[in-house]
Amino acid sequence: MNKLILFLALGLVFFNAGAQNRFFTKDAKINFNSSTPLEDIIAETNQATTFIDIDKNEVAFSVLTTSFKFRRALMEEHFNENYMESAKFPKAKFTGKIVSPIDWKSEKPVVVDVKGELTMHGATKAVTFKATITPGKTKVIATAELKVTPEDFKIAIPSAVRDKIAKEVTIKIDAIYAPYQQ
Amino acid sequence: MINTMKNNLLTSVLIFGMIVLYSIPAKSQDLDALLEKESKPETTYATAIFKSTRIVNGHSVQQMKKKQLEFRVSHRFGQLNTGSYNFWGLDQGTIHLGLEYGLTDWLEFGIGRSTYEKTVDAFGKVSLLKQSSGVKNMPIQLSYMASTEVIGLNTNPAMQQNFTSRMSFINQILIARKFNESLSLQLTPTYIHRNIVPTEVERNDLFAMGIGGRYKLTKRVSFNVEYYYVYRANSSSLPITYYNPLSVGIDIETGGHVFQIMLTNSVAMREGGFIGKTTGSWTDAGIHLGFNISRVFSFNKD
Repeated sequence: MNKLILFLALGLVFFNAGAQNRFFTKDAKINFNSSTPLEDIIAETNQATTFIDIDKNEVAFSVLTTSFKFRRALMEEHFNENYMESAKFPKAKFTGKIVSPIDWKSEKPVVVDVKGELTMHGATKAVTFKATITPGKTKVIATAELKVTPEDFKIAIPSAVRDKIAKEVTIKIDAIYAPYQQ
Repeated sequence: MINTMKNNLLTSVLIFGMIVLYSIPAKSQDLDALLEKESKPETTYATAIFKSTRIVNGHSVQQMKKKQLEFRVSHRFGQLNTGSYNFWGLDQGTIHLGLEYGLTDWLEFGIGRSTYEKTVDAFGKVSLLKQSSGVKNMPIQLSYMASTEVIGLNTNPAMQQNFTSRMSFINQILIARKFNESLSLQLTPTYIHRNIVPTEVERNDLFAMGIGGRYKLTKRVSFNVEYYYVYRANSSSLPITYYNPLSVGIDIETGGHVFQIMLTNSVAMREGGFIGKTTGSWTDAGIHLGFNISRVFSFNKD
């Protein structure tokens, strides 16, 4: 009887160890560029929280929109007050899946397709983008680039500044993941 | 018997251990829940309590952030009740030009020059408390503003004799709260010391309480009101009738500019003048149409 329970317990321990295939970081970099010849609009944060589940090939991101830093204080204020409405919608979020094959044991960079849902300014939109992932036992490196349009997220741009803000905003992501310890 | 008890104990411990081990992964099944758990505890600071560093005439708790420079042009037309001969005040103009610069996010300095009594002014504004919610909770924004004004007019012999008699000193505590996205209110206790006053019966020290606020009509347009109650101990014996300054205005923000359009019974645009020496009265249309234009330049390179 005791031996049986001991076996079960040990089995669970191993099973658990197998389930800990999650990597995460709290200081992933995200920057976006919405510049036009008339105006440089560049902002960056290094406070994005992100997870990768290498068993399920799932990815998730979360970032406070107020953590984005601009060169111009006034631009930052307008970004939060007038465009993102950060008081109402404090977080931008992405949840998705790596849809192309990836060998997590290879430790070589591989370009994959990521598909999922991006939520910001209270609106959610399906997005697909390419990411470069370098798997590893102790760290996983991921970079990605995607383009979004403000209109897709119900971000209104007044006609007076329409020419100063790019129609398509390029978002770049740079994350170095470490194994997630509960 | 003892053996069985030992076995039971061991079994219980093992089962307990199993439950513990089993429950760990069950708690964090999807990444969404993990994200919530690992997102940093947040403190949200109130931003843009007012659109501009002035509510109308007086200071607001807003100030220039680090390495940001504001160029501010203020203009007041003449009094509305001066009639058609004066084109209802539009024939006249009083101007103030000012520069304000943020040394850090919490400290700014400014200088200015006004055609009103040819006054030069210099001030410092320091942010002492920031309104925030979340981990750090602070219900109000609090700043201190100190200013010196030097009257340049050469019509007063006392002022020509002694430079220091041209000077006034203004101290203000700015207490504001952004109640919601639209509504912000501010209380402004004020103490002004004038080295010389216009008439003999006036006191050199002046105390005032300002109350002001803004209500956002749209994201980029707000309605502002500002009133200063000025305490004058001997107001009945004064040869000049002074009024408490009351101003109403509209802020219009367009990118790097803020336009403020207002109606006010003060012609002066700085504290020594509009708090201490407002002579226009709303009741007989002794009011001025005016505007402020603010343009912000950034010197941030990184």
